Amino acid sequence: MNSFWNGKRRFIALLMFLAGVFVALRVPPVIPVIQLPGERYPAGYDLPLLGIRMTNTLAGGILAWVILILLVVYIARRRPKSSAEVPPGGFYNMFEALFEGLMGFVGNIAGGQHFRLIFNVFMTIFLIVLASNWLELVPGVDTIGFIEPHVKKEYNADTGEVEVVTTDGYEIYPSVVGYAVNGQCSWISPADEAAADEAAQLNAQVAEQTVRDQQVIDAAHARYDAAHGDGYDETDETAGEESTADDHADTADDHAADEAADDAEAMAAHDDILAAREAEKQARRDSGCYSGVGPVPWLDDGDDHSGDGDEAHAADEHHGVPLHPHPASEEAKLVPWVVLPFIRVPSTDLNMTLALALIAFVMIQYIGFKALGISYLGKFFAFGTLLKSPLGAIDVVVGLLELIGDFAKILSFSFRLLGNIFAGSILLFVMSFLIPILPWPFFILEFFVGVIQALVFALLTAIFMSLATVGHHHDEDHAEAH
Amino acid sequence: MDAQATILLGKAIGAGIAMIGAAGGGIGIGLAVGGAVQAMGRNPDHTPTIQTNMILGVAFAEAVAIYALVVSLIILFVL
Repeated sequence: MNSFWNGKRRFIALLMFLAGVFVALRVPPVIPVIQLPGERYPAGYDLPLLGIRMTNTLAGGILAWVILILLVVYIARRRPKSSAEVPPGGFYNMFEALFEGLMGFVGNIAGGQHFRLIFNVFMTIFLIVLASNWLELVPGVDTIGFIEPHVKKEYNADTGEVEVVTTDGYEIYPSVVGYAVNGQCSWISPADEAAADEAAQLNAQVAEQTVRDQQVIDAAHARYDAAHGDGYDETDETAGEESTADDHADTADDHAADEAADDAEAMAAHDDILAAREAEKQARRDSGCYSGVGPVPWLDDGDDHSGDGDEAHAADEHHGVPLHPHPASEEAKLVPWVVLPFIRVPSTDLNMTLALALIAFVMIQYIGFKALGISYLGKFFAFGTLLKSPLGAIDVVVGLLELIGDFAKILSFSFRLLGNIFAGSILLFVMSFLIPILPWPFFILEFFVGVIQALVFALLTAIFMSLATVGHHHDEDHAEAH
Repeated sequence: MDAQATILLGKAIGAGIAMIGAAGGGIGIGLAVGGAVQAMGRNPDHTPTIQTNMILGVAFAEAVAIYALVVSLIILFVL
């Protein structure tokens, strides 16, 4: 090991480290954003087969399969043809040692008549899960991908195109896995903008109404003062007197002018609030960030970036407009961008873990029926002992519990793997974000988590399979012996 | 407080409460590792067996905490 880091390799390590420092200092911090379901590839990248919608976790799954196939081909080639041949060293040797170690390990737990089948299932699941889990350690996975605007898109089954949702304005994803590229612009969704606009309108109306109410009150005070000839207003004597004086001077014409002035005052209060809101939006636009109302700049034809609030018009314009403006273009600066990774760890998609859990579940039931025949069902529907004694009711309940427990296995299998690996990927995101230079201790941690979760998934399947072959016969024998 | 902020508040509080479940996993892992370390101290010869079983047990205990994590992640990012 010592010789490995001698000579040139040491400088390569140093160079990589310095590159890390450079990138960390040079590139502004980016914000990790997180999404649980696998992200859909942009239109045009879907699998042509069966109309499958390509997601990046599916791509990761395919990559894991390719790696496994390569592994199988490699191992099959290097395998000694006869016992006389000396086995090759290197990776093959290591793999063989691990394989035999696992074989012994499983043999201890689930040895016996069905060992062969159990071990096949064990090893298959182990390798698939391991290959999937370790993908997260590969540089570029989860980090290199399409540059996507941070908006919600929907698949239109009629046209087969991905479209920005325009029915209820634009909605953004709460979050997307990847890194927000444009960190300095806080994204305000059009929905939020519309809500803020509405609030401003409401505030303006309230302000206008307040002014008008005040005017009515003032007028009433003035009338009262006029009637009683004395300022009753103790707090503001002068104001009361002034208005009294005003009122005294009122003629019919003056009254009309007064009303117009009052009206102007109220409208000014109304307009002030709207103007403040407009100024706020303008300030955001000036700073180069997109203000949500109006045509979305990168979806627009590009000539009008001001956005004058014509949402219906904007909505019409989006159909057929490309969703991928060049990231270097002017439009691209105006919205937050995220990386939609080409490949994401397949174990972070519930579809994958659930599929594996279902396979494990089916194999558990299969081996149960294979070993015990139809009497395997007696484990779940234990009505046999009910005929012998009323205490058999306990067996019935226990059997039903076991039935529920078997289905709960699907849930626990899939969530255990998903949770561990998804949490691991988020950990790697966040740590790469917090300490861009030195996130690798966490990569080592994730290396082990990947192995352990693969082992746990496969081993639990093996244990449950071997339990399914046993049934409840020995219990009955035990009871009869007493 | 507008509806959006209320929803965000509810999500944050809910996710935080969901993560209380992780305490159980922590206690379980602590007990398992403590017991395993004691056992390894007493019979160092059996370290490999104990270690394997310990890791399995830790993974099971961790799974419960992970359920809590999944629930809080779903609250935060899916709901």
